[in-house]
Amino acid sequence: MSATLERPSPTLAGPRTVAPGKDSRRLIRSQLRAGWVLIAPALLHSGIFIVIPVVFAIALSFTDYSFGDSWAWVGFQNYSDLFNDADFRAALWNTILYAVVVIPISMAISLFIALGLNQKIRGLAFFRTAFYIPTVTATVAVATIWLWIYNPGSGLANGFLSLFGFAPNSWLSDPGTALPSLMVVGIWQGLGTKIIIYLAALQGVSRDLLESASLDGAGRWQKFANVTWPALGPVQFFVLITSIVGTFQVFDLVYVMTKGGPGTETTVLVLDIYQNAFQALRLGYASAETVIMMILIAVFIGLGRLLQRADVND
Amino acid sequence: MTSATVSVVGETKESTVRTGRIVLYVALTVGALLMITPFLWMVLTAFKSELEITKFSWLPGELRWHNFVEAMQTAPFLRYFRNSLIIAVGETAFTLAVCTTAGYALAKLPIRGAKALLSYFILLLMVPFQIILVPLFLIVKSIPLFGGNNILGQGGIGWLNSWWGLIIPLGAAPLFTFLARQFYVSIPNELAQAARVDGLGEFGIFWRIMTPLIKPALITICVFQIEAAWNGFLWPLMITTSDAMRPLQLGLAIFAQNPAEVQWPYLMAGTALATLPMIVMFVFAQKRFVEGMANVGIKG
Repeated sequence: MSATLERPSPTLAGPRTVAPGKDSRRLIRSQLRAGWVLIAPALLHSGIFIVIPVVFAIALSFTDYSFGDSWAWVGFQNYSDLFNDADFRAALWNTILYAVVVIPISMAISLFIALGLNQKIRGLAFFRTAFYIPTVTATVAVATIWLWIYNPGSGLANGFLSLFGFAPNSWLSDPGTALPSLMVVGIWQGLGTKIIIYLAALQGVSRDLLESASLDGAGRWQKFANVTWPALGPVQFFVLITSIVGTFQVFDLVYVMTKGGPGTETTVLVLDIYQNAFQALRLGYASAETVIMMILIAVFIGLGRLLQRADVND
Repeated sequence: MTSATVSVVGETKESTVRTGRIVLYVALTVGALLMITPFLWMVLTAFKSELEITKFSWLPGELRWHNFVEAMQTAPFLRYFRNSLIIAVGETAFTLAVCTTAGYALAKLPIRGAKALLSYFILLLMVPFQIILVPLFLIVKSIPLFGGNNILGQGGIGWLNSWWGLIIPLGAAPLFTFLARQFYVSIPNELAQAARVDGLGEFGIFWRIMTPLIKPALITICVFQIEAAWNGFLWPLMITTSDAMRPLQLGLAIFAQNPAEVQWPYLMAGTALATLPMIVMFVFAQKRFVEGMANVGIKG
């Protein structure tokens, strides 16, 4: 702390007479020390609560651990059991279906709305707030509101559709509509984040490029296809990845609205993991499921990357 | 010359541009209504009587403010509210302390391997919470010397069903370390250098010179952390066993557990209570939200 005060002075003898080089080295040393002290808590925290759990999850997946004192290594037993487990297969299928439907639709709608909001419109703050409110709201609160909207007796969905002469539907307990009903809520809630990210990116698209394209006689569509779309590339990829990670983690919505039912129509991976770990108390088995989920997310991100590369090469 | 040709083209296109504008406004308004209607429906329901909700209707016959009071009596929503507040404040304080220091060290101090450490935090930022939930539960359960555990972390419940367990593991997410680092990087080094010449120590420079300069960024971090803590559900669901610790979202979910017997007006009153603080926060800190998102999305 006092390093800078100890200026080298030729009149003093002893260790205090240091060369300027040594002085700056001491300065660097004190910065180094401060650096490690400041970063240590974050390293410790992330080590204990993220790195160790990831390693631990993989290790657990090869055991039959179940909260008790005795456990054994079981090799790939959990994994082979999983693929014969009808609940797990349903959960896997529903999660992939949910991701494959929700991600493209919500990305497309968000992009359209962001393009609209980027047109120098009046009331931008109002529209931005309206589209973002579902995103700042807790998923549990959103789920309870939609539970009531989908209520077969006096909910908003049936009430609204009856105006157009549709027969009432029991949305969440009908096997045919249960998962699509959840998808609608997922799309509805996820728009806000994507719109704001797209909007920020659109504002970064080069005005000069757009103007020179108009001067060259490019139409609206041509400008979008040749200037805006390529410029959005990196942001598309970011939105895609966060959406993949987000949709694979869907839990709160399903837990509150259907608990996976009717039957296993809306069971998703995290719900199945939760039930296996904390209701059936099969922690090793549940860990094997999380490892599969980890691999699946990685595969989907890889696919997203391929898609983006193909798009850039076009 | 060019401007003249543009304006001619503009005149011929004017009517199509105008209809285009109208279509745009109509589409955006319909979209915004679709976003807001469920919340409107929630508030309207909160004022209705048990009888009114047996059939579909828009408006309540009268505004039953009393529903809110009765909802508080049927479930301890106020206690849930207080618990959520404790978790949000605790987690935010913890995050600020850990993430600003780490972000500053990564951005401004010459630690060996700073690049590698930054990559480490970016990598961790991508680990979804759901993947580590089982082992995280076991780790929190075996925190030594807490909840009846011995020094080896055996015998008790550790941090389960405690404020520690609710706050510490989910606080200080790598995302915020990364965000803080991004903000510190943009401050010129000369300021720190000048303070060093004046004899200020490294911690003084961090705390008194550099951190006040990123105040807006700190608000961004606070806003995102408060939102995440307030809206959290799965983790409290896993580790709380008593009503005394349960946050609002968990209380709501428990109240909604049995759709056949749910008292919808009360549930909607409770939901409104859970929703309102975040909407108010967003309306007031809109700029911070947008900036934060843009920062993560574009620079990240």
